[in-house]
Amino acid sequence: MMDHDHYRLAVMADPHDSDDALRAHRESCAECREFTERLLRFESRLERALRVDVPQSANVLPFARRAAAAAPRRRQWMTLAASVVLALLVAGGVWLTLPQSSLAADVVAHMAGEPDAWRRTEVPVTDPALDVVLQDSKLRLKSGAGIVSYASSCDFRGHKVPHLVMQTPSGPVTVMVLVHEPVNKSMRFDEQGYHGTIVPVPGHGSIAVLMRDAESGSTDVERIAARVDDSIVWTR
Amino acid sequence: MNDEVGGKQRRARFQALCQSLRPDLLRFAFWLSRDRALAEDVVQESMLRAWKAQDALLDENAAKPWLLTIVRREYARTFERKRLPTVDVDELVAKEEPMLAAAEEQNIGELRAALMKLPDEYREPLVLQVLMGYSTAEIARELNLSGPAVLTRLCRARRQLRAACGEDTGLDPQE
Repeated sequence: MMDHDHYRLAVMADPHDSDDALRAHRESCAECREFTERLLRFESRLERALRVDVPQSANVLPFARRAAAAAPRRRQWMTLAASVVLALLVAGGVWLTLPQSSLAADVVAHMAGEPDAWRRTEVPVTDPALDVVLQDSKLRLKSGAGIVSYASSCDFRGHKVPHLVMQTPSGPVTVMVLVHEPVNKSMRFDEQGYHGTIVPVPGHGSIAVLMRDAESGSTDVERIAARVDDSIVWTR
Repeated sequence: MNDEVGGKQRRARFQALCQSLRPDLLRFAFWLSRDRALAEDVVQESMLRAWKAQDALLDENAAKPWLLTIVRREYARTFERKRLPTVDVDELVAKEEPMLAAAEEQNIGELRAALMKLPDEYREPLVLQVLMGYSTAEIARELNLSGPAVLTRLCRARRQLRAACGEDTGLDPQE
C-alpha cells in the first residue's frame, strides 16, 4: 500500500500521472485527493503562465528570405512581390486566426486540469447525470452515440459548457460543446501532448474534440468530430 | 522534373511544419533564456539550421523533439559565442515586466515572475513537461539525466513555485 508522502511526491513530479496505484491511493484517501485537486488547480495556472504570447512578427520564417537571395536575378522581383503578398496573407491569417488559436489553448488547458476524465472505462455515466449536463446546453445525444464515461458542466470562458468523454476503440475522446464560441472553419491543433480539432456548428457555436497523443495514434479526430456532430440533437 | 516537384513539395511541407511548431519553440526558448529578444534570435538561427539539415529528419512525427534539441543547442552556442554576462534575476524580471504585466490575471503574472526566478535546472524540465508534453523518460533523455533525477527536479520546481505564490503547502510531502 502506497503511503501519503510517496503518493504526493509522485503527483508533485507529474500531476497528470495516470498510474493505477496512484489512482487507487487517491480514491481511498480524502486528504491526498484534496492535495491533488489543489495541485491540479495550480497546474492549470502554471500551464497558462508558461504559455506566453508569441509576437506576430516572429511568424515570418527565415527560409523565404534566404531562398529569395539565392534565386536568379530575373526572378527576384517576382519573388519579392510574392513574398509581400505572402506576408500580407500570413499577417492577415494570423490576425484572423488568433482568437481561434487561443481558444484551442484554453480548451487544452481546461482538459489538462481534469486527468480523471481520461480513464478508459466501459462504465457509462448515468442517464440522469448526462441529461442534466446536456439539458443546460439545450441538446441531447441520439441513442447509439457511444459510451459517455464522463459528463460535467464546466466553467469555460464565462459559460457553462458540456464536457464529455466518449469511449472509442482508439481510447477516450474528450468533447466540449462550445455554444458560445463560433469559429469560421475547422481548426486542428496539437499542443501539450493533446491533439484535436475545433469544428464549426452553424448556429450552435463549435465543438472541440481532442485526444491525448499517446492514445491517438492514427485516429482521425475530424472523423470523430463529424460523428459527434451527427449524434447531437439540438433542442432549441 | 519529378524530382524538382517532389523537392518543392517536401520543402513546402517542412516549412509548414516549422511554422506550426514555431510558437511552442519560441515559448521554450523564452523560458530557457528569460529574454524575448534572445529567444527570437535563437529560434531564428535554429530554423535556419533545421532548414539546412532537414534531410536528417526522417520522421515528421519526430519534428518537435528534433527542433527542440536544435533550439537547446543553439541557445548553448549563443553563450559560447557571445559570452553573455551573468545577469541578475531581478533585472531579468524587470526587463520582461511588460510581459508579466500583460497577463490577464494577476496571479498569472505572479507565477511568471516566480518561474523567472526558478533555477535553470528546475525550470527546464518543468517547461519540457508542462509546455511541451514530454514524458519523464523523454526529459531524462533530452537533459541527459536519470529518471529519478528528473522526478526530483520536477517535484522541487513545483514546491518552490507554490511556495513563492503563497500556496498552502501544509500537505506537501517530505523528501
